[in-house]
Amino acid sequence: MAHLLLQSVWLIPCYSLLGAALSALWFPGITRRTGPRPAGYVNAIMTFLSFVHAAIALTATWNQPARQILIPWLQVAGLDLTIPIEISSLTVGVIVVVTGLNLLAQIFAIGYMEMDWGWGRLYSLMAVFEAGMTALALCNSLFFSYIILEILTLGTYLIVGIWFNQSLVVTGARDAFLTKRIGDLFLLMGVIALLPITGTWNFSELAEWAKTAEVDQGVITLIGLALIAGPMGKCAQFPLHLWLDEAMEGPVPASILRNSVVVATGAWVLVKLEPVLSLSPVVLSTMMVIGSISAIGGSLIALAQIDIKRAFSYLVTAYMGIVFIAISAQQTEAALLIVLTHALSMALMMMSSGAVVWNSITQDVTQLGGLWARRPVSGLALVVATLGLIALPPFGSFWSMLKLADGLQESGHPWLVGVLLIVNALTAFGLTRVFSLVFGGKPKQMSERSPEVHWPMALPMIILSAFTLHLPLILQALSLLPDWASLNKDMALLLTWSSLFGCGLSAAIYLGNYIQKPVQFPIKALQDLVAYDFYTPKLYRNTVVLGVAIISQLTSWIDKYLVDGVVNLFGLATLFSGQSLKYSTSGQSQFYALTILIGVTVLGVFLCWSSLSHMVLVMTASLSHQQFLG
Amino acid sequence: MQLQYFLLLAAALFCIGIYGLITSRNAVRVLMSIEIMLNAVNLNLMAFSNYLDPQTIKGQIFTIFVITIAAAEAAVGLAIVLAIYRNRDTVDMEQFNLLKW
Repeated sequence: MAHLLLQSVWLIPCYSLLGAALSALWFPGITRRTGPRPAGYVNAIMTFLSFVHAAIALTATWNQPARQILIPWLQVAGLDLTIPIEISSLTVGVIVVVTGLNLLAQIFAIGYMEMDWGWGRLYSLMAVFEAGMTALALCNSLFFSYIILEILTLGTYLIVGIWFNQSLVVTGARDAFLTKRIGDLFLLMGVIALLPITGTWNFSELAEWAKTAEVDQGVITLIGLALIAGPMGKCAQFPLHLWLDEAMEGPVPASILRNSVVVATGAWVLVKLEPVLSLSPVVLSTMMVIGSISAIGGSLIALAQIDIKRAFSYLVTAYMGIVFIAISAQQTEAALLIVLTHALSMALMMMSSGAVVWNSITQDVTQLGGLWARRPVSGLALVVATLGLIALPPFGSFWSMLKLADGLQESGHPWLVGVLLIVNALTAFGLTRVFSLVFGGKPKQMSERSPEVHWPMALPMIILSAFTLHLPLILQALSLLPDWASLNKDMALLLTWSSLFGCGLSAAIYLGNYIQKPVQFPIKALQDLVAYDFYTPKLYRNTVVLGVAIISQLTSWIDKYLVDGVVNLFGLATLFSGQSLKYSTSGQSQFYALTILIGVTVLGVFLCWSSLSHMVLVMTASLSHQQFLG
Repeated sequence: MQLQYFLLLAAALFCIGIYGLITSRNAVRVLMSIEIMLNAVNLNLMAFSNYLDPQTIKGQIFTIFVITIAAAEAAVGLAIVLAIYRNRDTVDMEQFNLLKW
């Protein structure tokens, strides 16, 4: 049974696609009477089926070697585009996580989207995301990974733009699509440039090739930079990070999925490409710098946000930055572990924020407060998510961060450990700040009557809290935790202290009464700088957007006036000549007689030209002869 | 007397006829100019038949035809002029420019 399910694990993306297709039946234009709820139920059932399938397959694949399935797609002269599918415990495990989180997000959406008629679209898009991510996990080819990433980019555009009658949603969806698309296009350049060098797009064969590759440093550096540009956009890394902030305009269930797993698709491709990227030290150091900037920048910006969803979305940028650091230090195992622990905690965090927003309407943390007594489930979920995200033993992220810090120290990047500690402290500070503002203090006007959410939202929150809490046990069962003897205790203490320091300081500031709220930073400009995301929208508008706008206006002008003008000039000249030459038809028959005469004369002169000139010659000769004689 | 002088005279007469044809404002004078040109042609025909073809004198037969047709043509021409005159009360050629662009 389990073996059969393992063999057919490639069917999992098809379940979700079937669900996506079926939800179209409940679009408001098709099912006009009975409402869109069955779309949600069908998709949840499909996701549940995939989850069960993957979970059973995972038991069968445990301690088994990875196997490949080849699905022929297209074979044209000299190019063999066969889809390689890798079935290993890692890929099936990823599918379990993705389908599990999607199942919880879909159940959450049943509660959250209760007052909405757009279930058909939302659920079909969530199913498309699930299909894309499971296919990405299975697919072992850079080319097909790129295809899936592009489809997911389109999916992001559609899912952010669900409520398209809001203007901010439209601009947010636009930015999300274009920003990710730019990254993807660079990735495409890298993908295409890689083929002539390696002759393959298969990740395993790429890794084999990279072991013995001897290529020009310049070439592989450029290709590597292009290859990281795609995941940079996907993972919302600086400077392609604005889209994630604006994507928070979409519905919360979609944000749960996006913040936990969708942004990790870029990291997944990077992990797979790590052997190729490590051929060039320039690429690795670029990734290191981008990751560090994103990690510190993201966690700093998150401190100054007053929108609860945005305060969490910048942490996604920060943690994906840490994943970048991990991959650049060739700690792929630590990177995958961070992706896993971050996914669970971040999904829980988004659920908690969604639950708060659903009943308290406002997303502004300065207008919320004092929810702890009345919202125990949401509050506990946020606490658990915080514990799971920051490096605090014995929770999940502590072990992944410890593994990374260990690896960083061993591979000779001690300053990156410093970055890790700073980011951890800042994240701890930011999360405690949000918790204190929302759940601590006195109730404010918007949160005075705030009941706990109903079961479809509470249930996935509780289940995910339990998973987050049990993650260390699961990791231990999978023997992914270091044993006590080999534990780097100094590092563990440093990480723990940084978390405690961040949490403690934040709690003291926001729960204590020593500082006046809202907190004013001594330097107002600095507070504004991080609150407005380093003015990234202005930066975009004044560089890339401005440049493209000027060039497109210029080319439009050239097209309108120069190219069109030249062609129109011919038409105008013809018109003008017709208009002016018609006056040759003067209406005077005598004038016609004159033109006939002129025509005949000219023709006669032309025909007789040779004899005429000859005659002139003879006449002049005879004249001069006569003069000579005379 | 030489053939060339006849031909030159005929050519001069033809040119005078053309000048009159193009410049006259009176429609009757235009017809008269056409007659001058036809007479120049007749002079040519007569000269050629005298000097080049004195036996069969085909040119003279041609000339007779030209004179008769010229008479008929002048009759039709004057009739046209009269018809126009009846409508427009003038024979000024510069007034007959209705069929322009």
